[in-house]
Amino acid sequence: MSEPLDPTDETLGRRLAAELPRHAAPARLRASIAEAMTPRPARTWWLAPALAAAATALVLVLFFVPLLPRIAPADPVQRLARAVVSEHTRALLWGSRQPEIAPAGWEWLSQESGISLPKMFAGDDRLTLIAAEPVYLDQRRGVALYYRDVDGHQVTYVVLPAPKGVRIAPNDSRRVRIADRWRPALLVDNGFSLWAWNQGELICFIVSDMVSATDLEQFKDYFVRLRTATEPRPAY
Amino acid sequence: MSDADFRRQSLEHLDALYNFAMYLTRKPAEAEDLVQETYLRAYRFSHRFEQGTHLRAWLFQILRNTFLTFYRLREREAPLAEDGVPDWDAPMFHEAPDDDPRVLEAHTDLERALRRLPEEFRTVLLLAEVEGLPLEEVAQVMACPVGTVKSRIFRAKERLRTLLRDYEGK
Repeated sequence: MSEPLDPTDETLGRRLAAELPRHAAPARLRASIAEAMTPRPARTWWLAPALAAAATALVLVLFFVPLLPRIAPADPVQRLARAVVSEHTRALLWGSRQPEIAPAGWEWLSQESGISLPKMFAGDDRLTLIAAEPVYLDQRRGVALYYRDVDGHQVTYVVLPAPKGVRIAPNDSRRVRIADRWRPALLVDNGFSLWAWNQGELICFIVSDMVSATDLEQFKDYFVRLRTATEPRPAY
Repeated sequence: MSDADFRRQSLEHLDALYNFAMYLTRKPAEAEDLVQETYLRAYRFSHRFEQGTHLRAWLFQILRNTFLTFYRLREREAPLAEDGVPDWDAPMFHEAPDDDPRVLEAHTDLERALRRLPEEFRTVLLLAEVEGLPLEEVAQVMACPVGTVKSRIFRAKERLRTLLRDYEGK
């Protein structure tokens, strides 16, 4: 028979208090708790609304930027040059719309473009005529002749009626003397080089992606070939 | 009570809380986590602390509740049968195995015997006898009437004495 249990046994309680080892909290625990309980300085009250407003403004700007009117160049020649470059880029990316060249097509081309070409450069050992077609650039009908050189550069020759009063000034700083005979203006737009000159009532452009110093010498040669062998005139 | 007062007064009980957590979890790392979580909860809900009541009992109560909810949940997830189906017959609270190197070693028969007590008995002895909390505060911590606390202390001591007798007989 087991001995009776004493419900008021205080000996065991004292043993527990005295014999059980006590574990002290590590100092790092005390430090981390004290730090976690320290209130952080309140954030500047205007920061959140300012950030929200800035983010909203940014979203609105990004949304409306495509709807804003494009800034057109003030110089009408430069504006035409930009339209010519766009046409050149389009042909470069997706080809011309009238890829077939047939002698019977010249009459049609002249009617459609309003530009006749009694004499035109039909290609040689360096340049190959690949297409000719009427174009409508900057609200003007004109003609575009597309060539490709032996190195794969596309060269686009564009003739448009010159807007009234738009001429490249004789003293324009962009003019370049070529072969002591011509002084076309060398323009640069969107990474492309252009020769631009007035020919009677017309304004002519030759555009290509030849922009390096070496390529520009070659580009001058192309200008001479095209300029010498092509005579555009207004058809009407 | 201001935040600074609450912080200062609550940190006075850190050692007692850590000691209690050590006897509950038996692992220093888990005891630290448990105490840290206890203080974070206490600080978050400090506005609910009623001025004039016992802060120490309130902190012990948070610690024990955190232990029961957080640690028991984890213990409940652990015992899975091999087929992946929970073994519902397994006890909800498990003694950490003694061969676990992270477990603090028991040096005396008293410690070994205490470890073998169910959590309710161990807690009541630790609070009443080791930490010296009055029965009313122990009742607050354990969310039960004072009479129940007395009964548990009686039964805990009875169980503890039996275990000690077994150890001494070996």
